[in-house]
Amino acid sequence: MTESPRTRTLTVIAQDPSFRDSNGRIVLEEVAVPAERLWPGPMGHRVHVIDYDATTDTLYKSAKAAIDVDPYAKYLVRGNVDRLIKDPQFHQQNVYAIVMETLGRFEYALGRRVPWGFAKGSHQIKVVPHAFEDANAFYSRNDEALLFGYFTGASGVTVFSCLSRDVVVHEATHALLDGLRNRFLYPSSPDQAAFHEGFSDVVALLSVFRLPRVLDVALGTRIYGKSARVQPQKLTHENLRGSVLLKLAEQMGQELAGVRGHALRQSLQLKPPVDLEAKEFLQAHRRGEVFVAAMLNAFVGVWVSRLKELATHRSGGLDRDRVIEEGVEAADRLLHAAIRAIDYCPPVDLTFGDYLSALLTADSFISPDDHKYRFRQVLRHHFEEFSITPESEGTPIEPGIWREAPRELSYDAVHFDSMQYDTDEVFRFVWENRHQLDLNDEAYTFVQSVVPCFRVDLDGFIVRETVAEYVQILHLKGSELNTAKMKRVGIRKPADMPGDEHVPLYGGGTLVFNEYGRLKFHIYNPVLGKRQAQRVNYLWRHGALRRSSGESFEQFHRARSIDLPGQSGEQW
Amino acid sequence: MATRPRSLRIRAYQVGFGDCFLLTFRYSRSKRNVLIDFGSTGRPKRSKPLDEIALQIAEECDWKLHGLVATHRHKDHISGFATRKNGDGPGDIIARCKPEVVIQPWTEDPRAARDAIRPTGLYGRRGRRFVSSLDSMQDVAGAIARLSSTLPNLSKGLRRRLEFIGGNNIANRSAVENLIKLGDRADARFVYYGRSSGLKLPGVRTRVLGPPTLKQTDTIRRQRSRDEDEFWHLRALGLDASAANLAKKSPRVLFPRAEQYRHTPVWARWIENRLQEMNGDSLMQIVRTLDHQLNNTSVILLFTVGDSSVLFPGDAQIENWSHALSKPHIQELLKGVNVYKVGHHGSLNATPRSLWNLFEHRKGKVSERMHSVVSTMGGKHGSRRADTEVPRETLVEALKEETHYLTTQAIRSTKNNFRDIEIDFRTGEIEQIVHRG
Repeated sequence: MTESPRTRTLTVIAQDPSFRDSNGRIVLEEVAVPAERLWPGPMGHRVHVIDYDATTDTLYKSAKAAIDVDPYAKYLVRGNVDRLIKDPQFHQQNVYAIVMETLGRFEYALGRRVPWGFAKGSHQIKVVPHAFEDANAFYSRNDEALLFGYFTGASGVTVFSCLSRDVVVHEATHALLDGLRNRFLYPSSPDQAAFHEGFSDVVALLSVFRLPRVLDVALGTRIYGKSARVQPQKLTHENLRGSVLLKLAEQMGQELAGVRGHALRQSLQLKPPVDLEAKEFLQAHRRGEVFVAAMLNAFVGVWVSRLKELATHRSGGLDRDRVIEEGVEAADRLLHAAIRAIDYCPPVDLTFGDYLSALLTADSFISPDDHKYRFRQVLRHHFEEFSITPESEGTPIEPGIWREAPRELSYDAVHFDSMQYDTDEVFRFVWENRHQLDLNDEAYTFVQSVVPCFRVDLDGFIVRETVAEYVQILHLKGSELNTAKMKRVGIRKPADMPGDEHVPLYGGGTLVFNEYGRLKFHIYNPVLGKRQAQRVNYLWRHGALRRSSGESFEQFHRARSIDLPGQSGEQW
Repeated sequence: MATRPRSLRIRAYQVGFGDCFLLTFRYSRSKRNVLIDFGSTGRPKRSKPLDEIALQIAEECDWKLHGLVATHRHKDHISGFATRKNGDGPGDIIARCKPEVVIQPWTEDPRAARDAIRPTGLYGRRGRRFVSSLDSMQDVAGAIARLSSTLPNLSKGLRRRLEFIGGNNIANRSAVENLIKLGDRADARFVYYGRSSGLKLPGVRTRVLGPPTLKQTDTIRRQRSRDEDEFWHLRALGLDASAANLAKKSPRVLFPRAEQYRHTPVWARWIENRLQEMNGDSLMQIVRTLDHQLNNTSVILLFTVGDSSVLFPGDAQIENWSHALSKPHIQELLKGVNVYKVGHHGSLNATPRSLWNLFEHRKGKVSERMHSVVSTMGGKHGSRRADTEVPRETLVEALKEETHYLTTQAIRSTKNNFRDIEIDFRTGEIEQIVHRG
């Protein structure tokens, strides 16, 4: 019996229809997706493409046959690729493949299945490639869907957001991040509001940089022979950032800026230092661009350090293919660490500093020996340029990583096996150790998730870890913020807050257990702490304390696309 | 004539959801009248139609207006300036009052229009482009308002809100043309921050605090200079084309040759219903964005006589206010406001907190407390569930608590369809007068 293949490749548009090679041909790519049994749609075990257009009330049919063989593979080498823009069934394949590829990338980095963040726990996200005539695309948790709009561009040509790789990956990332940390959508700090958008941008952009054909086009016209080499002086940080990536930004469909904003270009234009307390950067989308800028600079930094390593061995310029390969490797490594870092983030009130510590911690497990490319040093440097420092001091050898959890914990009452999947069992552990874990006795506490992770260790062995999240909630009145106890932890009632104002306070932690069931990390924000004081003040000042959820992505993306300065703090 | 008015009467007419204020500056032997806005998008059953109110205004000011201000081009601020072919429209009556000065925001200057024959250099390419995008936006709003009655699966509330807000944004051609005509016959002032209003009111300092020009600030355009050539223009054009498609009875199907389902299969019904509802929400968001954009072209006027000052901000929101609020000397002036015309009928975002926090005559001694006046009508705009109702409950609470609050909503008589605020500049006393009978 022959084993059926685990993956299949599908043809997609590498970036978007405006991204063309030197012959004016739209650049295509092949992506690998799980070889699952598909129904027409395509509809697989995690993604269901439904091609319904609400503006015209039209439901398009999909290809009848299951996609066993990629029907568009021939276009990779020949044929009129522009024809694909008029083919809705190609659009259906394009979104299916890119969403599945993104899901696969998350599952690979995290070592487990990643759920969607829907309340009902549905397994399949609906993806609607032509949802409505509107320059918008967004993830909607309530509709369990990724919705992509289309609109008429300035030149009179229809622009499809579903054909833009970075837009599709961006929206899929919102959905995946929501599945991993559903409280990141709650009103909290300016950093948390900015993180969802910034992280989705980073994953989207790194997913684009990972494609060799994209970097090839961005490096300029390829002339075979002598010019197949690139002179080392052209591969400086400034040149790669200011020329290659900027060229890429310019080539990415400009009209789609109405959908995605200008994440790449704006971030490239941001020059450190920036004042994160300035009004401009308190707006979520502008603040998110700072995060993207730090990550992009880190990407270029790693690329450059990898190229330097090559330059010492060669003369007369670097082989162009190696330059591209190193860029792809750099993007891939950063993407892998960026996703893995989510497991090391607290479940509530995330700051950029928290994420940086999580990123450094994640990478220290992926590549303990950082001697060669100094990846973590590059990360710290580029974040610090933008005034973002790790939340944790780290260790002398690994500055910035999370400190290990306290060792004096009781495991007497819990069972190793149940601790790997059972929320009640983990709650028992939390309960028994609540004082060592610095939990608040009065707060409502629950374990939100317990998930096993399978990762390949450096010695090639499979390591099984467990990641659990718990949340604490305190419902107080405004007047209760003025007690001596609150004062001790720095919380004060804002002067203009009514005494009977309902003030919900959230805290919580991520527990990472090692393969022996011992607590490795406890990454948490206490329900009563300095950060809580900042959160209450910020949300009260911005009128968001009463909101139970953040702005919808539909509104957020529209505001971002037209660069709305926002009414934060000014509304009633 | 005395160099300083003895008093000012601010008369707020019941126009439902709209604004109509007649300011009468009384001097020892004469008076001067300024009409600020005249429009409505929905009146209560027991209220006078606009042509009767126009007649009231004309008689009240002895058929003489010394100034006419149309803060911005929303229907609820200018529909009363519309004329009729037979010459008896409310705008015809106002025209007979021969306003000496006609004040509008710079965005209404015909020289800035997209069909301007020659570039004037006054507004430049960006200015003209901005104005052209405002025109496009109104076309979009019109298309959406028309579409709202035919979209399937919309909740009643959403359909009503779409019709209302879309309708308020539709271009009021007759009123706009009448205002241009009135301006041609008078001193037409297309004002921006810092420009002279042109009003001839002895002893009264009239400052224009908004709107800013694009050069003064980019925030009003909600578009940073870094993208100045790209977005609003493209978007306006994109929306133009999209709106044209939306407005058709049968919008253009994207892939007419592609196979389509005649009947919705079972597996698609849930998402189909959700998407239809969401489509309505998206259109609402678009039209609301356009609504804000026009609100932010509002003329903001600050009248000062001695130590007393009166603030009329139209429907300006923070983007319009930002430029003025960034000036320390303007902040100083705003601290002393005694009467505040509440922006945008009391909506959640037209009384920026950074403005509100400046007012020093809030709270304090009852006799020294500032007055606020709002012309509004509940249940027309926004929704309580989404905390967007107009007037916004939390704002009204603060206005009631910290100012002497006057609302046209309280007017239920067609005979006495107005409320007055009287300011005596000699004593500094301010009084609200309710006419009964």
